[in-house]
Amino acid sequence: MDFDQYAEQAAAAVALPLAPGHRPGVVLYLRLAAAMAAQVDGLALGRDDEAATVFVPVAPEDLPETAA
Amino acid sequence: MSPGSATQAVRRSLDRIAATDARVNAFTALLAERATARAQRLDREGAEGPLAGVPFAVKNLFDIAGLTTLAGSKIERGAPPAAQDALLLRRLEAAGAVLVGALNMDEYAYGFTTENTHHGATRNPHDLARISGGSSGGSAAAVAADQVPLSLGSDTNGSIRVPAGLCGVFGLKPTFGRLPRTGSYPFVASLDHLGPMARSVRLLAQAYDAMQGPDAADPACVPRPVEPTAGTLDRGGEGLRVGVLQGWFTEQAGDAARAAVQRVAQALGATQPVHWPEVERARAAAFLITNAEGAALHLSDLRTRAQDFEPLSRDRFLAGALLPAAWITQAQRLRRWFAREVAASFRGVDLVLAPATPCTAPPIGTEWLEIAGQRLPARASMGLLTQPVSCIGLPVVTVPVWGCDPAAPHLPIGVQLIAPPWREAWCLRAARALEQLGVAQAPVARIDTPTPAALAAAGAPDVR
Repeated sequence: MDFDQYAEQAAAAVALPLAPGHRPGVVLYLRLAAAMAAQVDGLALGRDDEAATVFVPVAPEDLPETAA
Repeated sequence: MSPGSATQAVRRSLDRIAATDARVNAFTALLAERATARAQRLDREGAEGPLAGVPFAVKNLFDIAGLTTLAGSKIERGAPPAAQDALLLRRLEAAGAVLVGALNMDEYAYGFTTENTHHGATRNPHDLARISGGSSGGSAAAVAADQVPLSLGSDTNGSIRVPAGLCGVFGLKPTFGRLPRTGSYPFVASLDHLGPMARSVRLLAQAYDAMQGPDAADPACVPRPVEPTAGTLDRGGEGLRVGVLQGWFTEQAGDAARAAVQRVAQALGATQPVHWPEVERARAAAFLITNAEGAALHLSDLRTRAQDFEPLSRDRFLAGALLPAAWITQAQRLRRWFAREVAASFRGVDLVLAPATPCTAPPIGTEWLEIAGQRLPARASMGLLTQPVSCIGLPVVTVPVWGCDPAAPHLPIGVQLIAPPWREAWCLRAARALEQLGVAQAPVARIDTPTPAALAAAGAPDVR
């Protein structure tokens, strides 16, 4: 994978300007993140391995007084 | 509480800060007037209770009424002051404690060293040329230096446990969802925890007890009843089955870290080896979630003023804004899988041990570490052994153990006492047993002045 090209395209997709001085560091950390993602991807997950993010509905009484 | 004791305690704390903080650099704001007035009021009212008149300070990501919440950054300096104290501060003060100030940290909590470029590094009170650890470095250093007996920090990937171990104090990272984060600056909502540090296990437990209780404003906070722990401490390790984590937790640990675990294991009668599966993948999942979620929180500022971020974490934040969604969702799925596997491992054991860091505190400015024969980046590697544990929200008390590093016998190293969810009391009881046996302790640092040569050799940045 060409991480430099990916950084450029992905940054454009989220409207994030990358200064030339920041780019080598960004590419370095993208490489590291890709290595971490490969680790995660290496484990086969099943249907019931639901993501560990659960939405909590918000009732009016849950709001702080200033926001009510 | 004896007459005038709150005022005396606050005066003593402020005097100690004045005498030592030019060298330690733990504090970013002092609340001398507020603390003195509050202490005088407590004395007048004859306040009672274990926390009455106890001075404390908090990582500067907690809201303090009238102060801007910096979260270690330069960017937030322009934000308006907080309208009220964070919920945990209010709960501690309702129990009689007295807030005296705000403490240094890694910017936006993204780091393990508190080498804060904007405010200077917080130095380890036991060796001023070395890091305090992070990201709650100011919280650990202030307690180790006896500037305050109690502090609060946050822990997303190890930010209470790493500095507590490196500075030689006790630290508690409760179960994820136990203490409400209302009124604190977030880092990674999926992983953020708040908790106390202290030089005694009893005070740690008393502070934790005073902060318990749900709050609907924090969606991650689980509505469980208060489960007091301080009254259980004298039961010590009685009846607790203790195991020692193997695999990743020994492979990524240096000799001093392994020696510290061995000493604690012996004291607690731990003989059972415990294996968690796929720890490296769990650590990778925590890394990705942290990177992406942290970056998303700051996307607006990354777009418009990236140059104002901490140089040590800016490029990581920028990269985090660019990660594919599939990586993050898979990481969150793996996290659930790992939590189930680890829960099964707790059927045969109540508590497991692991080092808090791979080594004792390195000199400020260290870029690379040699750990168990590997050359690793120093700053990220301080969290190698804490990250897989917070990834699944388990409660942990870090206890400080001394004299395990022959090259630095004056430095402590932390050992994590890890329990199943909601069993903070078991961690605290075992910590109390170790404290009573003298295996773990938190002595006051002498705050020696380092020679200029020592500071220069460490590449330490000038403070302030």
